[in-house]
Amino acid sequence: MTDWNATSDADFRKEVRQFFEAEYPEELRHLPHRPKFAEIEHWHRKLHAKGWVAPAWPAEYGGMGLNAAKLLIFYEEQQRWGVNRGRDMGVQMVGPLIIKFGTQEQKDYWLPRILSCEDIWCQGYSEPGAGSDLANLRTRAEIDGGEFVINGQKIWTTMAHDATHIFMLVRTDPDAPKKQQGISFLLAPMDQPGVEVRTITTLSGETEFCEVFFDNARTPSENLVGELNKGWTMAKALLSFERIFIGSPSLAQNALGQLESFARGRGAFDDPVFRDRFAQAALDVEDHAALYARFADQLKRGETLGADVSMLKIWVTECFQRITELMIEAAGPDGGTIGPLQVGNVSVDVLASFYKARPTTIYGGSNEIQRNILSKAVLGLPG
Amino acid sequence: MTQTDTVSSEQEDLRLLRESARTLFERAGGSGRARKLRDADGGFDPKMVRELAEAGVFGVAVPEDQGGLGMGLAAGGVIAEEAGRVIAPEPVVLTIGLSLGLLRRLCPEHPKMAQLIGGEISLAVAWQERGPGGAPANATCRYADGRLTGSKAWVVGATGSHGFLVVAKGDDGPVLVLAEADADGLVTTRRAQADGSSLGELSFSGIPAAELASGDAVQAALAEAVADATALAAAELVGLSECAFEITLDYIKTREQFDKPIGSFQVIQHRAVDLNVMCEVAQAGVREVLALMDRETDQKVRAQLASRAKARAVTTAKRITRDAVQLHGAVGYTDEFDIGLYLNRALVLSAWLGDDAYHRRIWFDAREAEGAAQ
Repeated sequence: MTDWNATSDADFRKEVRQFFEAEYPEELRHLPHRPKFAEIEHWHRKLHAKGWVAPAWPAEYGGMGLNAAKLLIFYEEQQRWGVNRGRDMGVQMVGPLIIKFGTQEQKDYWLPRILSCEDIWCQGYSEPGAGSDLANLRTRAEIDGGEFVINGQKIWTTMAHDATHIFMLVRTDPDAPKKQQGISFLLAPMDQPGVEVRTITTLSGETEFCEVFFDNARTPSENLVGELNKGWTMAKALLSFERIFIGSPSLAQNALGQLESFARGRGAFDDPVFRDRFAQAALDVEDHAALYARFADQLKRGETLGADVSMLKIWVTECFQRITELMIEAAGPDGGTIGPLQVGNVSVDVLASFYKARPTTIYGGSNEIQRNILSKAVLGLPG
Repeated sequence: MTQTDTVSSEQEDLRLLRESARTLFERAGGSGRARKLRDADGGFDPKMVRELAEAGVFGVAVPEDQGGLGMGLAAGGVIAEEAGRVIAPEPVVLTIGLSLGLLRRLCPEHPKMAQLIGGEISLAVAWQERGPGGAPANATCRYADGRLTGSKAWVVGATGSHGFLVVAKGDDGPVLVLAEADADGLVTTRRAQADGSSLGELSFSGIPAAELASGDAVQAALAEAVADATALAAAELVGLSECAFEITLDYIKTREQFDKPIGSFQVIQHRAVDLNVMCEVAQAGVREVLALMDRETDQKVRAQLASRAKARAVTTAKRITRDAVQLHGAVGYTDEFDIGLYLNRALVLSAWLGDDAYHRRIWFDAREAEGAAQ
């Protein structure tokens, strides 16, 4: 088995890049929507055969065992080439949690199935009354014999209509003194009479989000991961790496590249006002990348990241939105047109980019929540 | 030594340099010193210049074989940031970037080099003239037979400097000459600037001046020195912005209204966060630029990098100092509170060597030219 961490950064990057460039199907590059599993199954098989499905997992569980520095390189290359992340909720969320808090039986059973995508996972966290205030969640799970009985509703469950299983935060002790207590982490099969999935049509016309209703749905009690009523702390422990990943410059960099070729084809650079706004956006991306590099270096030195890493997400998502707004501006009268716009030999789906940028300031902790966090944890402001 | 070791030992050197510069400026009286000097005569303190020189400040970016510390622009940026934090009126960036930037490239043996590094003198650089763009390409200022005739504009540091490095037109192209401040026939007109400093307008009626260098090398060295100074001025604005933000953060934590610190109100908190994020982005961007400029030899690329830095730093400093006044409320509009000193210094440093809109234009044009060349 390869010890990737012993490889130099440059060699590792080269190897990852070569693999993606040689093996990733051209028609799946920079997909504007989230694919169903069937659409990317072929690619997933290749990745699985290569042993690269789970870059962050330890090698003993079938992962690549990458350290933070190598992991960052892997994701940078993935985004650079427009490689779709696939249906990675299992790999990104459930797997690490089971590895950290699961029993041996849970590891033996679930982990291989995650890697092979025999099970496809969706994340049941948000609820109608628990968005930014996630700890306010109300979906109940009660023990009945050897099973949990689940009642309630989840929402914004990405790709639930194409998932076989859901991992969820549920309330197991409604009388706990603090709402963060009394929450447990539970795994449940989707294919049962008590689970109903309804898709939500988004502004862009996609149906990647779902509502999931639980009406006396059941799951065996051995599907509880970690201790009962300790789910909140466990779920939070997973987020530290995600916070730098969600602030990576690549989304904005890719959009900027699209904006440039589109604007050039449209002659938008003849306008000095547009030139200045483009320069602003381009410099916003470059200087953000410098700040990102500072945090990445921290990770590479083996330091843990502080709450200040949230600033990456605030900056880059808002920058991403401005870039896509400039695309619409450059499109002129075509700015409201659905589908790819052809300019010379490039085709750019202006509205798809615009829509794609909208939820980035909402998901992963809305930018307002991020500002609250920075205000208290970093600036030390009161109340 | 591995590459990583080299990097971290460089980082460690910069950290130590920052520490000693900060201590030096703080001991001298921090930003309070800037207020005193402004209220006195608007100049700087020659004693402080000598103290800074003793700490090696002016020679940081001068190669070791020319009598400096050879630590590059990255180290110059550390000094500039620290000077910016206490809005020091001394000619730090002027000397490191422009005066020494010109001399070390054109006449490193000249005795003025050692005097500048030693803090014995300071020299202002007169390179711009009124006219489109203020570019020296249209220079009308003439140098012939040891005499200088014409005028120069926007001379920073004219007050208190011992002489002027003047870029003029010679018989065979551009020349760099040295004119003493007390030369007969040199008329200096000063206009007061917002921070208490002055901007000089020089006029020469056949004054004596000594030629230091001539030919295309002068243009090339000037372009390099201006790029250096531009990036260092950006670093000075970064330091200034950080300190202005810290002052404001302290203020909103202590100022109470409605029986609460105003920093407990979410609208204030989110504004503070935005300023903090801008500051961090600017610091990371400008520091990255300085490090890249140290490794880059292509003049065009260096100039483009400098523009990136100045554009970022000016945008940041303008927004932070203006919002700082707003967050201070009415007292922010008084001369008594230090935050206004930061606003005024930011105005001056933003205008010097080009503001953000100017540098975005330069940056974009350089990018287009590079794209067209490929």
